[in-house]
Amino acid sequence: MAKIRRGVSFYSYQQTQFFKQLNLEGQIREVSENLDGADGIEILDEQSLRQYPHPPDDFIERWHQWMERYQVKPVTMDVFMDVLQFRDHVMSYHECAERLMGDIRLAKRLGFKNVRTLAVVPIEILVEALPVAEELDVRLGKEIHNPIPLHGKYVQEIVEHVDRSGTKHLGIVPDMGIFQYQPSDSKLEWMIRHGASRKATEILTQTCLDIRAGVGPLAGVDMSLVTAGNIEVSFHRFLKTGECDPYFKTAFDAIVKITKASISTPTVMDYDVIFQSILFSRTRPEDMGKLMPYIISIHGKFYHTTEIPGLPGEYEDCSIDYEGPISYLKQAGYEGYINSEYEGQRFYQDLPFEQLADEVDQVRKHQKMLKRLIDA
Amino acid sequence: MLDNFLVRKDSLMNFTEDGRVAGFKFAVRNANYRGVFLSLHNGYYIKMDNVVYPREVQEFEVNGQPPRDFEEIKTAVYEHWDYDDEGIVYVYKPGGLTPGKHVMEFQQSVLAAYGYMPTDEIWVKEPPVPGSGAGSDKTVSIVTYELELGEGGF
Repeated sequence: MAKIRRGVSFYSYQQTQFFKQLNLEGQIREVSENLDGADGIEILDEQSLRQYPHPPDDFIERWHQWMERYQVKPVTMDVFMDVLQFRDHVMSYHECAERLMGDIRLAKRLGFKNVRTLAVVPIEILVEALPVAEELDVRLGKEIHNPIPLHGKYVQEIVEHVDRSGTKHLGIVPDMGIFQYQPSDSKLEWMIRHGASRKATEILTQTCLDIRAGVGPLAGVDMSLVTAGNIEVSFHRFLKTGECDPYFKTAFDAIVKITKASISTPTVMDYDVIFQSILFSRTRPEDMGKLMPYIISIHGKFYHTTEIPGLPGEYEDCSIDYEGPISYLKQAGYEGYINSEYEGQRFYQDLPFEQLADEVDQVRKHQKMLKRLIDA
Repeated sequence: MLDNFLVRKDSLMNFTEDGRVAGFKFAVRNANYRGVFLSLHNGYYIKMDNVVYPREVQEFEVNGQPPRDFEEIKTAVYEHWDYDDEGIVYVYKPGGLTPGKHVMEFQQSVLAAYGYMPTDEIWVKEPPVPGSGAGSDKTVSIVTYELELGEGGF
């Protein structure tokens, strides 16, 4: 029977790496030895590699030795696009495609099967780089990240290009965060420590549940063309100046209205808290099954795994639906990887060192959860 | 993100030039989960003991090169500041700092982004001033550090 494979994105270990608690080899060993059958390695090139974009040959040799020694597989390399690199002009699509082609060649040297681009990379850039991907047999996957849903324009244009051209080297990398329906408890506590009222966090949770139920002023709002980092910047500008792209206007007005209706003198933080409610994609789990042929790999985004009440040693993430999408992936016969991508560490980083999150432990629990759902 | 951990606590020192104490320096990390092309690094908001030291009196040392000012850093378009590496921020202040405790307000500016942004063209012409909030990427707020300068200032 077809089986979903498990791996880890080293994004999960960003803080562990920052404090030099695990180096790259240590991270690889952790996947190999402590995750009960996981064997997939995903890196972010600018996080894991020294001397990017030209790591030395002896490193490449060592990398392949690690893959052999620890019996793991290079699955996906995540790449970036900083359009101000040259500082004297904004990079053209062609320049971005050149950087991407370089990244594809680098991925090939390291044995990766897939390259993941950011959600915001225009399709023209992917198409320009595609011949290099085809020649080297590396698949290009565009990340589909909250708040972009699977049924939006960004996915559609990829699907259309694949169908039209017949290419086997282009697709999507859905991030499980698109199935998030409410903020994690760790994020709510972080917000409260940063001046949010508990009241605002309660309204946020209620607004999320209203949106999920299809009621309230935000029920019909479509944020499918934006990415989380960008919309956050726009909202802060809107709060300061009242100006924003017309695309955001309805949503931003509704956030302000909901906030004012429930809190008499809202702070910026109160607005920020309730704003979080529009950062969820509202993706339907069944869409994962329908789009299976276009899925290159999957980011197992999670924020906080906790023990399931009454089931000692079994874990769940209460803010993201994993069960629904995984059941559709199994039905559709998905045989690719889900790579754990822990992002909850940032909600503890305002605390003293001793109280920071344990990334290694969180990934182990998340892998137990994935194994339970895949084996079910 | 790791705002409170970007400056190494025991790294504050004075530095000399031509035999004279020319300013102070400290070690920093990149406020992100990845490294960046060095050119994107746009300087710091530094308010030491209530005095602001603008980007123009700052230099940055990384990758085994001598300290460079931020106009020169801007041209390091193919050089990478790796995620694992510390850099040293030099701040020109003739005479340096006195030994003892110092309070520094701090924000790093790195023009890393998720693809194209509405501010791109403006930032080519006029890069954001560190500390203004714009261009601070993953350090959302100005952070306060208490640092100790050892006896003798070095």
